[in-house]
Amino acid sequence: MSRIMLLIVLLGLAARVGSGAKAQAADVPSTETPAAQDLVAAADRIRNPQQPFRLTDTLVEYRDGKPRDRVVLIVFAREEKDTRQYSNLVRYADPPRDAGKMVLLHGSNMWFYDPASKASVRISPQQRLIGQASDGDVVTANLARDYTAKLVGAESLEDADRKDRHCWHLDLAADDPEAIYSRIEYWLERDTDRPVKGKYYSDSGRLLKIAYFHNYQEQLGTVRPTETIIIDAVDANLVTTMTTSDYRLQEIPDAWFQRDFLPRLKAD
Amino acid sequence: MTTEQQIPDEVSQNAMASSTATGPVVVLRDVVKTYDGDSLKVTAIDGITFDIPRQRFAMIVGPSGSGKTTLLNLIGCIDTPNAGQIEVCGQNLAALSDDAITDFRSRNVAFVFQNFNLFPVLSAYENVEYPLLLLGLEPGERRDRTMALLESVGLAEHREHRPNQLSGGQKQRVAIARALVKRPGLVLADEPTANLDSRTGSQIIELMHRVQHDHAVSFIFSTHDPQLISHAEETYAIRDGKLVERHSEPRR
Amino acid sequence: MMLLKIAFRNILRNSRRSLMTMSAVAVGAIALIIFGEFMAYLVVGFQTTTVEETGHLSVFHQGYFEFGAGNPAAYGIGDYQTVIGLIQDDVVLKPMLRVVTPTVKLFGIAGNFDINASTTFLGMGVVPSDRSRMLLWDEYHIQRGGGRVPTELGLRDDTPTRGVIGVGLARILGLCKQLGVASCPSPPVEAATAAPDAPGPTVDLSELARRDRSAGQASGEGGVPRIDLLAATAGGAPNVLSLYVSKAERQSVKELDDTFVAMNLALAQQLLYGRGEHKAVGIVLQLNRTEDIVPARARLRSLFKEHHLDLDVRDFTELQPQYNQIVGLFGAIFFFIAIVMGVIVLFTIVNTMSMSVMERTNEIGTARAMGVRRSGIRRQFLIEGWMLGVIGATAGLIVSASIAFAVNHAGLRWMPPGQAAPIPLKVLTSGVELLIVAVWLGLMLMATVAALIPANRAARMPVVDALRHV
Repeated sequence: MSRIMLLIVLLGLAARVGSGAKAQAADVPSTETPAAQDLVAAADRIRNPQQPFRLTDTLVEYRDGKPRDRVVLIVFAREEKDTRQYSNLVRYADPPRDAGKMVLLHGSNMWFYDPASKASVRISPQQRLIGQASDGDVVTANLARDYTAKLVGAESLEDADRKDRHCWHLDLAADDPEAIYSRIEYWLERDTDRPVKGKYYSDSGRLLKIAYFHNYQEQLGTVRPTETIIIDAVDANLVTTMTTSDYRLQEIPDAWFQRDFLPRLKAD
Repeated sequence: MTTEQQIPDEVSQNAMASSTATGPVVVLRDVVKTYDGDSLKVTAIDGITFDIPRQRFAMIVGPSGSGKTTLLNLIGCIDTPNAGQIEVCGQNLAALSDDAITDFRSRNVAFVFQNFNLFPVLSAYENVEYPLLLLGLEPGERRDRTMALLESVGLAEHREHRPNQLSGGQKQRVAIARALVKRPGLVLADEPTANLDSRTGSQIIELMHRVQHDHAVSFIFSTHDPQLISHAEETYAIRDGKLVERHSEPRR
Repeated sequence: MMLLKIAFRNILRNSRRSLMTMSAVAVGAIALIIFGEFMAYLVVGFQTTTVEETGHLSVFHQGYFEFGAGNPAAYGIGDYQTVIGLIQDDVVLKPMLRVVTPTVKLFGIAGNFDINASTTFLGMGVVPSDRSRMLLWDEYHIQRGGGRVPTELGLRDDTPTRGVIGVGLARILGLCKQLGVASCPSPPVEAATAAPDAPGPTVDLSELARRDRSAGQASGEGGVPRIDLLAATAGGAPNVLSLYVSKAERQSVKELDDTFVAMNLALAQQLLYGRGEHKAVGIVLQLNRTEDIVPARARLRSLFKEHHLDLDVRDFTELQPQYNQIVGLFGAIFFFIAIVMGVIVLFTIVNTMSMSVMERTNEIGTARAMGVRRSGIRRQFLIEGWMLGVIGATAGLIVSASIAFAVNHAGLRWMPPGQAAPIPLKVLTSGVELLIVAVWLGLMLMATVAALIPANRAARMPVVDALRHV
């Protein structure tokens, strides 16, 4: 089932729609320091395109520093106008034995489809959230909608490449009961609003994940992080890298997000 | 001194009609009894007709296999004839149910057996008392009668003994006491002296005579014993299931 | 009276044969009574264990019993404290109740990530003080007097982060040594599988990971082993917390032993509900007496209806379906043995009485000649058969009482299925009056019925033939 895990990992690309940024007053009153919520919204836009798109995602899982598993996925994502949530269709491209398998996330339902049996299985919320499966949520595009941000202060910290970055340190508290993490610590680079690091906490207050965003490149008109490193804070030896490439804007028909259509889908 | 006597038909019919307390104790008319032997039907009693007067020592004599025991069984109502009629103590038993016949026996007919046939688990007293329990008598009366009879047979002091503690003669005396305690009209005895020595036998015979007179009881014996036969008052000789001779001693 | 006297003397006539026959009946009585008392003891013991752990009745949200196992969070009882108060204060229920306590059930992943071991767990959240009290339930007085030691809970109200896990789970998570579990093989080391043509990382991952590993997760709190419990909250979010394991306790069923985790209610609620309302999945009621289950349940139902609460009540036989199955199995076995014994007694008595009838053929003829009716003959032999049965059964009763006494004072122990540790081996001698009377009457009846066949034969004997016998 680790295939599914990785896969679901990827599903984190799903998400809630961003943009409606809440104008939250930061607790730093001076005009020089920006509103925390706006910062979060800006970071959201950096990470994800606002129009329907597709990209290639390469996930590598490392244990004790050595690579253990590698998966290449093609992701199609689209924001739903009515719910303002993202729908995702993911197709396995590599390794060959998993090629053709698909995962559909539409609304809050997740389906796994196996071309060999032509059967699709629903994955319940309980089943999604096991161990590494939640990695994808870290890369969740739009935090501004579900979290209320507070500015903690300005900090300097090392990014994944050991370069010093001057950052705004933000503390995000979950607004929505359906938000995955009850609290997130976020470091965004000053002036560029680029996310550098995130620490994701569970309802119990314990740290679940740490994410580092780097390898910024221009993709689809914006400089975006093309690699995210996710460190599992519970299973300390587990680190996953997600490398995104080949971003393309693409119109995605409604049919692609219907479960019944999956067997006939020839997605590319 | 045996004279053949044929009973004329009219007499026998009259006898049937007037069976009262003074009439014959047993009336037989054309009685037939057969049973299934090894491969063919055996006729044990082949048409017998006679009367037995009351209060007499009657003997049925004849060789072995002549049907004596069968006849006794028929008279004693423990067997039923295939044909003919039997009247005992004035009662025709033909149409009665088994229970009714049994009840009749319990009241009117008593047996004395060659082998004494006492109940081994009961004492002499209890053996003698037994028929009275069947008749449902009160405890007081039962005790009186039982003791009286035990005394009259001279066994009062042996009353607590079990049969296996008594001699042959004593056992037969208990049997007689048992037979008489219910004051039956008829006592049937099949070879009562066969298992006794001659002295004891003669004592038993004497006892029975006494009882016959004291209690007005009719006795019918089936026997080979010459000593017993010498006391016969009525004699019926049976051979091959038929009556061949009849003798009657005058009343003394 | 004469009938009884004659019957008794006739029994004594062939004393050896009568003794054998009565012994057969006695043995039948002993077997049935001792076995019956043993099974009664087992049932009572089983009931006690079940009631200690599961209580008598459980209150759930409507639908939980059928569907809740897959999704406990969806069937929580909101505002459960009020419901508990409602139950405890009810006039009808109050005298029947012994313990009323909330409980939570959940499942997730338990891990000891230091050694990279993880597995699914089934968790139970309880209020320790209530549970300890429940473990002392003893309606049938088999605890202290009976030699059974009540189990120690391993949880306390004042240690909210402590928990108890199954021995199998301890083994899978490699905690045997720390928890003092004997003879435990160490978990296998996973063979390293390298991903084919995967490039090495572009950055030093371990250095990166080490940055935030500060105070965080020290393994163990002064020597007490720690495990991580991961579960999905009711809202669908991943949640994790630490559980400090006090001890490993063997569970009677292997699958449970491999997944069992017990913790304080508050901790379980923290894990299952997270930032949402902390509910209870069930409310467990333990009564003073088991027979109050029916009225208590009826009262609960009407109480819930009255207050428009969408709640469901189940008893322990529904929560532990094997209970009725096991009781039923015992009943079936007992029934089978009863039939076997009955048949043996039947054959023995038929045989004995037939021999008796044959030996007394001449006597039967004599009695009939003397004026005893057929029914009288039949009655005589029936009474003899009956008497053999009565004496045998009574003797059996007396002997079985001695055997029961001996067994109960012999200090024997055994481990029945469903138990994790040996318990005393005893037979129940109180409350079994019905069993004893039924066995006594049953065997007596069987003996009488058995005598019927030979008695009928005796009654129907032709008098003349009977007299011909010597």
